[in-house]
Amino acid sequence: MSTESKIKPIPGTAPPPVGADKTVVKAINLSGGIFGACPAYVDVKDGKVVRIRPLHYDSKYDYESFNPWEMERNGVKLRPLSKSLPPPWGLAYKKRAYSPNRIPYPLKRVDWDPNGERNPQNRGKSKFVRISWDEATDIIASEIKRIHKQYGPLAILVQCDGHSESKLIHAPHGCSTLLLKQMGGFTQQVRNPDSWEGWYWGAKHVWGKGFIGNMAPAENLVKDITENTELLIVQGGDLETTPWGFRGQFASRLMFFWQEAGIEQVYICPDLNYSAAIHANKWIPILPNTDAALQLAIIYMWVTEGTYDKEYVATHTVGMDKIEAYVLGKVDGVPKTPKWASEKTGIPSYTIKALARHWAKKRTTVGHYFGGGYIRGPYSTEPARLEVILLGMQGLGKPGVHHAQIAYLGMPKNITWDQLNYDIASTDTAGGFQEYSGTFETLKAKDPELYERIFTPHRSTPQAWGKQLIPKTLIEAAIKAGTDKSIEFWGTGGHEEEPIDQVIKYTYPCKKGDLRFTGSDKKDLAHDDTDIEKIYEKIDYDGVPIRMVWTDTPCRQTCWGDGFDIGMTIRSPQIEFVLAQHPWLENDCLYADIILPTNTTLEVDDVMPCVRDGEHFQTMINMRQAIPPIGESKSDFEAVVEIAKKLGLEKEVTIGRTVQEYVEGVYKGMNFDKIVPWEEFKEKDYMVIPVSKNWKKLPAGLYEFYKDPEKNPLPTPTGKLEFCSTNLEKYFPNDEERPPYPQWIEKGITHDERLSSPRARTYPLLIITNHPRWRVHAQADDIPWTKEAMTGKIRGFDGYLYEPCWINPKDAAARGIKTGDIVKVFNERGIVLCGALVMERIMPGVVSVDHGARTDIIIPGKLDRGGAINLISPGGLTSRHAGGQATTSFLVEVQKVTMEEYEKWKTEYPEAWNREYDRASGLKATAWVVRGDE
Amino acid sequence: MGKKVFLVDCRICNGCYSCQIGCKDEHVGNDWTPIAKPQPEIGQFWFKLHEKVRGTVPKVKVAYRPGLCMHCDNPTCKEVCTAGAIYKRDDGLVIIDPEKCTGCRRCVEACPYEDVIYFNEDLNIAQKCTGCAHLIDGGWKETRCSDNCPTLCIRIVDEDSEEAKEFIKDAEFYKPEIADKMKPRVYYKGLPKKFIAGTLFDPVEDEVIIGAECKLTGEGKTYSVTSNHFGDFWFENLPDGKYKLEIKAGNKSKVIDNIDATELDVNLGDIPL
Repeated sequence: MSTESKIKPIPGTAPPPVGADKTVVKAINLSGGIFGACPAYVDVKDGKVVRIRPLHYDSKYDYESFNPWEMERNGVKLRPLSKSLPPPWGLAYKKRAYSPNRIPYPLKRVDWDPNGERNPQNRGKSKFVRISWDEATDIIASEIKRIHKQYGPLAILVQCDGHSESKLIHAPHGCSTLLLKQMGGFTQQVRNPDSWEGWYWGAKHVWGKGFIGNMAPAENLVKDITENTELLIVQGGDLETTPWGFRGQFASRLMFFWQEAGIEQVYICPDLNYSAAIHANKWIPILPNTDAALQLAIIYMWVTEGTYDKEYVATHTVGMDKIEAYVLGKVDGVPKTPKWASEKTGIPSYTIKALARHWAKKRTTVGHYFGGGYIRGPYSTEPARLEVILLGMQGLGKPGVHHAQIAYLGMPKNITWDQLNYDIASTDTAGGFQEYSGTFETLKAKDPELYERIFTPHRSTPQAWGKQLIPKTLIEAAIKAGTDKSIEFWGTGGHEEEPIDQVIKYTYPCKKGDLRFTGSDKKDLAHDDTDIEKIYEKIDYDGVPIRMVWTDTPCRQTCWGDGFDIGMTIRSPQIEFVLAQHPWLENDCLYADIILPTNTTLEVDDVMPCVRDGEHFQTMINMRQAIPPIGESKSDFEAVVEIAKKLGLEKEVTIGRTVQEYVEGVYKGMNFDKIVPWEEFKEKDYMVIPVSKNWKKLPAGLYEFYKDPEKNPLPTPTGKLEFCSTNLEKYFPNDEERPPYPQWIEKGITHDERLSSPRARTYPLLIITNHPRWRVHAQADDIPWTKEAMTGKIRGFDGYLYEPCWINPKDAAARGIKTGDIVKVFNERGIVLCGALVMERIMPGVVSVDHGARTDIIIPGKLDRGGAINLISPGGLTSRHAGGQATTSFLVEVQKVTMEEYEKWKTEYPEAWNREYDRASGLKATAWVVRGDE
Repeated sequence: MGKKVFLVDCRICNGCYSCQIGCKDEHVGNDWTPIAKPQPEIGQFWFKLHEKVRGTVPKVKVAYRPGLCMHCDNPTCKEVCTAGAIYKRDDGLVIIDPEKCTGCRRCVEACPYEDVIYFNEDLNIAQKCTGCAHLIDGGWKETRCSDNCPTLCIRIVDEDSEEAKEFIKDAEFYKPEIADKMKPRVYYKGLPKKFIAGTLFDPVEDEVIIGAECKLTGEGKTYSVTSNHFGDFWFENLPDGKYKLEIKAGNKSKVIDNIDATELDVNLGDIPL
């Protein structure tokens, strides 16, 4: 590459809307929540989408007025482009709106009779019949009333969290809570930190609360890495995949820029992930979930060679003595040498030594973008904590030495930061949401009623706020407990909890006297258990077992653990009614009793602040309706309003205002009219929030702590990096799965998923289930054009589009497998069919299937054709006391499907095998609808 | 009107397929007659991203090549078209007129580049990249593929622009052997060549060998590198051919002959010294 950056801004090239009669702006990322990203132009003609294309920021404003930032290293410069960088599926999103898998009208399971036989055992098996909105909402309202009367409001479990399209008003998740909070509350499914379990349940005990468990503050990391980092180790994460759904493709530009500027990139992962494939100076393949062994050996090297920052360790950390004794073998008689680690990791010991020495010499940042096998497998607390210890041993907070969720945090601030001058270290502005949400504070102060209406649906993703709680990882355990037993768990898993929450024992059903977080002022905390008295109070009511499930998040089977079991468990007769609302007939929808068709962002009016880090510029956009609703669909909010009408609570839900009044209220309430007047914004449909003139002044990452740990302590009991955790030592001194300081866990009571297991004789391969390249978790699996990428889908001999299973040529040859073969990936939890992709991008002994494909279940509980790999992932928690999921890095075998087997399935399950199927986009909604009633 | 050229820098392609998808978004289900009729929903690629995995574990890279009609100045497709349906515009773009095309398929056979001209069975016409002529005529300075590209690795610019002149100076053609004949208007940088790589280690000391002199000879040239802090050596951008490697580290040395990089990149693996 040349030394001159080939990537330059090109202002003044904004394209006109050729062939369109209307153009609107939409946020087409898929992370959901109160903030969007990836603003794009949608050109429309005669009510049909012509095209979706990047927004050129300078279409209606002057580029220089945005005060564009600039970064430089070794004479190579990076400046923002004048356009947004949406992900490929965003640019193909019209196929999602027009998908043959859209739910055309309200549906009722054919053999579910609310006044008679409910047949719960047929969920996921029986088809559906068309009903009217009027009929559907009558049934729903009467069921809610009945369940409230018979069991109480907490008998309704609401599943309304996670990722989605970005819509503020028509929130895809949580509108149900706008209604149920008026009716005595509900039981909340609390979303676990599903892409960063290890940091949440582990690293929090080293550096305190952080930002949802990640390092905080994380300001100006992008600038500091640019200027000071010499070595960037990317462990597990993929900068060319995971950022796409959240903030688009800026991270790609950044990685190319760092490459060109001479920052060395080393990737440690079992697969040559998409980032490693083009940015790596070195790829070190590692057996899945053995990173802790590598990290311990690196510590061993640094201790024995004396190549760590001893002064920093003495002044900034506690517990190094325990770590040192452990790696030297004084605790268990096993020194954690490079030779020892080599056997666990599959990395040659000479390479481990070379890496340890190189790291000790260079200013090193460990980079991620969530996800990756590293952080969401069994016992992920251990590598996460060891990462912080490694960074601590090299002076974490020193210029160039960081833990970085690359470009997710740490981009230049915009001018709203200047104007509001909010507390940069706080992660709790805006009612406990994320740190850059300062502008929501002003809405809260100016128009609290509107703030509640807008914010409430979005609360359930980051907060545990229901009157009764069940962690998302324990829903099946809760149902299996029946109506006479209870379950207990430590910590809710809500993203914004203090670390101390993880020592609190919760129960379901909850009981009088159980502790609940009060959300009170959290200043002056000690970060040990004396905080419990300050921020928790005892509840004065008893909970009840759940009897109804209301989901707008119907993807558990393909995104959470032991998915086959999820499908079988929801058939419990205890669950009398399952209500789903969703645009597409997929995954958990098929296990519902009533399904309401909701719609996509293209079909509604909305507004979206796109103010998350990780794009060229931050924007506020007026998201006008592009096309009329498809079929009989309504937005998720409108669907809830229809139900509220039947319960006499319409006004309570809508606060008596129209959507246009919300849009204007949000814009003005968040003070955006101080930057661009409302009338001008309405006419232009977007505004760019200029970059702060002071953005460079913010200290990078933990620099203040590095400089003076006494004046700037961390939010831990000791104020230091706790290599050995005060809280864990006090509450779980004998926990062998998450000990007070991190260790190598070969196996435990929760998991037995290593090659040393006797199970490995039957299931000799380790599988990784990365965040998908061509989806965002379960979203966007029906776009035909992403399927055509080489790693998109594999078309089998039968024409079916199978999810790819990456397999090394050595393992493939040993099994007689060729690219294109239909293979079965299996263990004792079931069989998932995939299409083989034989490649050198995966190390021998390991296979890889991205998670989140739509289920296409042939035999419930046993066999899936859709490639939804989480159906056979472990169901257990991260470990006994850490309530995360462990859905990657587990044991399987892969075999070619024989013709005999194929014919047997086809003959024995003809209806399931021959479901209506679209050659381009796959599964079709009509496959599940009983016809003849139109 | 300036003549257009396409500048494609494979070194900054991230393989996101937004180019290929943008082409489909523009042309599937949209009728831009007289420039183009709709593209079939799947299976045809007027813009195609080519993807190749190079090397073996752990020396592996992925090469992407964004591919499109070369909009040749001597287009074979135009020569063989008996219906007079293929024409070259003043801006250099080569168009198959969807209303004049008679579906004889001669152009599909005649194009010397693969994956450029497709035959649409339903419409009974040949179809290919139009350079988004309908958008250019409507005032666009981009094509859909280039506008969608997040890294600007695909650019469509005027031939006499500074950007084009700067790029073309050291650019190359895909299939250079036919470039003189065809006169393609698509210029590339970073088209994949071959690499030879490996790791040096001392099996007795159990250490990688840093700073070893590695000399590679072949195809009339000699290349030298030293092994890095991981004991790795990389020879990149090599022409296809057979090579000989001489390694010298202190008093140790090794010669590896007959390294065959004519078809594939070569990972020599971990080499004990």
